[in-house]
Amino acid sequence: MKITRKNFVRGDVAAVPPSVALGALNNRFGWAQAADFDSDVDVLNYALTLEYLEAEFYRQGNSAGLLSGKEMQYLDAVQADEDSHVATIAATVKQLGGQPVAAPAVDFGDSFASRESYLTTSHVFENLGVQAYLGAAGFISDKAVLQAAAGIFGVEARHAAVVGNLLGLEAEGGVYMGATETPLDMAQVLKAVTPFLAGAGAMGEGAAVTL
Amino acid sequence: MNESQIFDGQPVLAFRSEHDRRSFLRSAALVGVGAGFAGFYLSDPSPSSWSAFGGAMAKPSPKQDLEILNYALTLEYLEAEFYKQGVAGGVLKGRELDLVTPIRDHEQAHVEALTATINDLGGKPVASPKFTFPSGTFTNRDKFLATAGTFEELGVKAYHGQVPRIDSVDILAAAASIAGVESRHAAVIADLTGGEPFPAPIEANLPMAAVLKAAMPFIK
Repeated sequence: MKITRKNFVRGDVAAVPPSVALGALNNRFGWAQAADFDSDVDVLNYALTLEYLEAEFYRQGNSAGLLSGKEMQYLDAVQADEDSHVATIAATVKQLGGQPVAAPAVDFGDSFASRESYLTTSHVFENLGVQAYLGAAGFISDKAVLQAAAGIFGVEARHAAVVGNLLGLEAEGGVYMGATETPLDMAQVLKAVTPFLAGAGAMGEGAAVTL
Repeated sequence: MNESQIFDGQPVLAFRSEHDRRSFLRSAALVGVGAGFAGFYLSDPSPSSWSAFGGAMAKPSPKQDLEILNYALTLEYLEAEFYKQGVAGGVLKGRELDLVTPIRDHEQAHVEALTATINDLGGKPVASPKFTFPSGTFTNRDKFLATAGTFEELGVKAYHGQVPRIDSVDILAAAASIAGVESRHAAVIADLTGGEPFPAPIEANLPMAAVLKAAMPFIK
């Protein structure tokens, strides 16, 4: 059976064959589940939720006075990027006739206790963002949206690498995560962000995801 | 060898400047990208422009996917050879060498993965062109890293440029999983050279012809 984007987008995941092409890339594909998204608006609201988390994380983190010099400049730029992603994705949801989800209530715990804990949590968020975008990409049907989402995905990868390097992590496995990025599906992503959400109901009414 | 001899070269893109495009992307909704910029995208087959520009905009197809994979393979050949010579050249030390050595390995892995994918799809992987690098590229740290930065940023834009043209979701996912790694490389190299690791909130893209034009000076 020929796999088209159209039937993939509709969630016909069972139709996806074990692909030799993907095998060649030695990729462990965590496609989002068929029921995760019904439309581009769904995918974008999922992305928006993660971007809200990141934007708020950097707003708090950069206000904590933990960084200086080049590190501060870099993290300021990261915050500006996440703010831009929030604004851009929310505008896109509206343009597609959807309703942007509300920002979740968050609790970053001890993340801002030190420079190291801040950057370590940042590294987690950025890599998670990369994996979330990749896992959901196949569900975007509008090609202009898809191309722009790919451009956001790449920026999250940049953030992840640079923060990993600021932490002095091993190049492979710290700065880079292998020769290819690894996607995660929505359930895996939500499990990873749950510790940063302020309890059940944190996603708010009309949220893309519920806990 | 000229552009049109490799991969049925596309017409050259004529957007006004990279800066204009980035500024636009900073404030635009994602869906505005294709439609709003159609005038600057005469060669860029974003979905809204297929019907408007007719024959020049080939719709995604399995045949086109193979062309895109061979295009990506050629760029990966270039990067793989560049880093192979660069790491062997001994111009980097310490942390810089630690950061660049995996890049060499990634580019080689990309060459192998793309080659295998093209074969699996029944296509014929293109042979590697012969490459030429300016004198001093592998004996001068600054020169080497500056060229690395050029290649990585070009590679990122090249992958993104093909996103709307890819037919198979499998290939799209595979290409994206490579592109993200190129983004990491680009950011790290920019950090090492005192450049800008995060040049825009949304990465730009370039069509095939513009990328090939930039790569031509390195192809014998």
